[in-house]
Amino acid sequence: MSGRRVGAITKRILQQFRRDHRTLGLLFGAPLVILALLGYLLRGGGDVPRMGVVNLDGGPLGGIVASTLKSSKTVSASSLAQADAEGKLRSGDIAGYVLLPSDFSAKAQQSRLIAPEIHLEGSQPGLSQSILQAVSQSFVGLAGQSGAIQFAARVTFLYGGPSFDTLDYFGAAFIGLVVFFLVFVITAVAFLRERGQGTLERLMASPLRRAEIVLGYMLGFTVLALVQSAEVLAFSLLVLHVHNVGNVALIFLLEALMAIAAVNLGIFLSMFARTEFQAVQFIPLVIVPQLLLAGIIFPISTEPGPLQALSRVLQLTYAVEGLRNIMIKGADLSWSSLQLDLGVVLAFCVLVILAGATTLRRRIA
Amino acid sequence: MAPDTYAVEVEGIAKRFGKQPALDGVSVRIRRGEVYGLLGPNGAGKTTLIRSLVGLVAPEKGTVTVLGRRMPQLPVLARVGYMTQQAALYPDISAEENVRFFGAIHGRENGVREALEFVDLWDRRKSVVSTLSGGMRTRCSLACALVHKPDLLLLDEPTVGVDPQLRVQLWDGFRKMAAGGTSIVVSSHVMDEAERCDRLGLIRFGKLLAEGTVAEIKTRAGVDRLEDAFLKLSEVSES
Ligand SMILES: Nc1ncnc2c1ncn2[C@@H]1O[C@H](COP(=O)(O)OP(=O)(O)O)[C@@H](O)[C@H]1O
Ligand SMILES: [Mg+2]
Repeated sequence: MSGRRVGAITKRILQQFRRDHRTLGLLFGAPLVILALLGYLLRGGGDVPRMGVVNLDGGPLGGIVASTLKSSKTVSASSLAQADAEGKLRSGDIAGYVLLPSDFSAKAQQSRLIAPEIHLEGSQPGLSQSILQAVSQSFVGLAGQSGAIQFAARVTFLYGGPSFDTLDYFGAAFIGLVVFFLVFVITAVAFLRERGQGTLERLMASPLRRAEIVLGYMLGFTVLALVQSAEVLAFSLLVLHVHNVGNVALIFLLEALMAIAAVNLGIFLSMFARTEFQAVQFIPLVIVPQLLLAGIIFPISTEPGPLQALSRVLQLTYAVEGLRNIMIKGADLSWSSLQLDLGVVLAFCVLVILAGATTLRRRIA
Repeated sequence: MAPDTYAVEVEGIAKRFGKQPALDGVSVRIRRGEVYGLLGPNGAGKTTLIRSLVGLVAPEKGTVTVLGRRMPQLPVLARVGYMTQQAALYPDISAEENVRFFGAIHGRENGVREALEFVDLWDRRKSVVSTLSGGMRTRCSLACALVHKPDLLLLDEPTVGVDPQLRVQLWDGFRKMAAGGTSIVVSSHVMDEAERCDRLGLIRFGKLLAEGTVAEIKTRAGVDRLEDAFLKLSEVSES
């Protein structure tokens, strides 16, 4: 073991990075950006889940529960008429509502039974959980008034159901994500290898048009991506039994669009990297913020306002939403929300294809 | 002479990278069916000149005409073969698959066997490129450049790392192609290869020092050896 030899390696590594400003920026900048984003997401005073309270109670207790809920900090509750609440639940304006039936007070006082109805939208387990918690907390006050009592809520789900778990929720999103990110990285690296090994130079000195290069690449990688998409989908549905009430062909269509977008994003972004090493650096730069903001982990409706606006311009948001619309809600092409999701993903595809083709031309000229 | 007698006409092109001039007002005319040697030391501008012929370098000044067409222009590239200085190949596929690919993008599907036999690689055609030796890769790269039977063949230091026996064989091949009407530009920093060229261009510091047959250049410089001609002509151009 020679200190000098080890030292030579250490020194060389530091020298290498001194000239690679981009890597340095990433090394010291990216963690702060990601942590700041995460901090803002979680502590930025985002919205709490919205819910409704339908109070049909003839007695005094319903009013107490309603006002407790409305002053709750973990949900934002408002009084609604039953039909109104049902409508808002279907349109996604509220994540759930609690209905206090006309005999609510009577039952609580006579049979010591607290029996509200809780109607949940159900597609986002996190929001459902918050509502259930807030509702059961609002009854704690009642217990003091009427002694030991039994809590017998009737819970219904518009989508999903009581067995709907976190995997069902994330599974829908991840079917698309896995394909999107893997295809992106593989395409970007393959394109940069073409640059590094000098073959791109040869392609440029051939009669190939830029559009032909981009299209050829796209088709080649799309074949791989489609096989991968089919595999991921089959595994999720047949082995993991991820909740799906929608049309499998629609899921595949959306997945395929994401794969094509990923191929072209890979080609496009690889124009901004010189080495495969730099291409891999797009992961923390491009991928992690999207993961945080596309509503995959944190529902967009609960993000701080400015971040919601940002989420709404990310195509991934719509892709994820589309997959959930299909798989959890059983959306078909007649749903306007799914039309929007598919439309945005398709538009993004066209955009990155054009971007890839024009950037390729610019970089060579 | 009709303009069509030239495969390449370069008129006063200049190109700099940053402040460093790589080409500084170079004019070159290469006749059809001749083997033109581009001779000069490392960093002289040989590669930059060749790249500007296929439109990979956009000159700041001057014009480039290839096979009668003002560059840059795509269709004419189907009739040009370009062998890059570093063997540019796809390492994960076989030699034959590489040659076939470059043939196909130039619009020619056959001729793979001929090209591989020309560089003596037919027996190794099934080998994946990453398993070939350096010299073999150079030869495979050459096969990729000539598989589509181009009218103009640009070879950037094609014989570096190739053993002497095969080098002689390749040069015989180049001469035969030239006899068949192909114009060939070969860059080299090895002086002994110059003897096999029809005409030479001596290039240094991005400037063309002299142009002509070996004999003409030696006479002009008043020396017996090409190396000396280089030194002599460099002095002249600097003073
Ligand atoms: N892409 C480039 N970026 C910066 N400088 C370059 C580039 N290509 C060539 N040069 C510079 O131009 C000069 C000529 O290079 P080149 O044409 O490759 O010489 P040769 O092929 O004769 O060895 C050299 O000084 C080289 O450093
Ligand atoms: Mg060179």
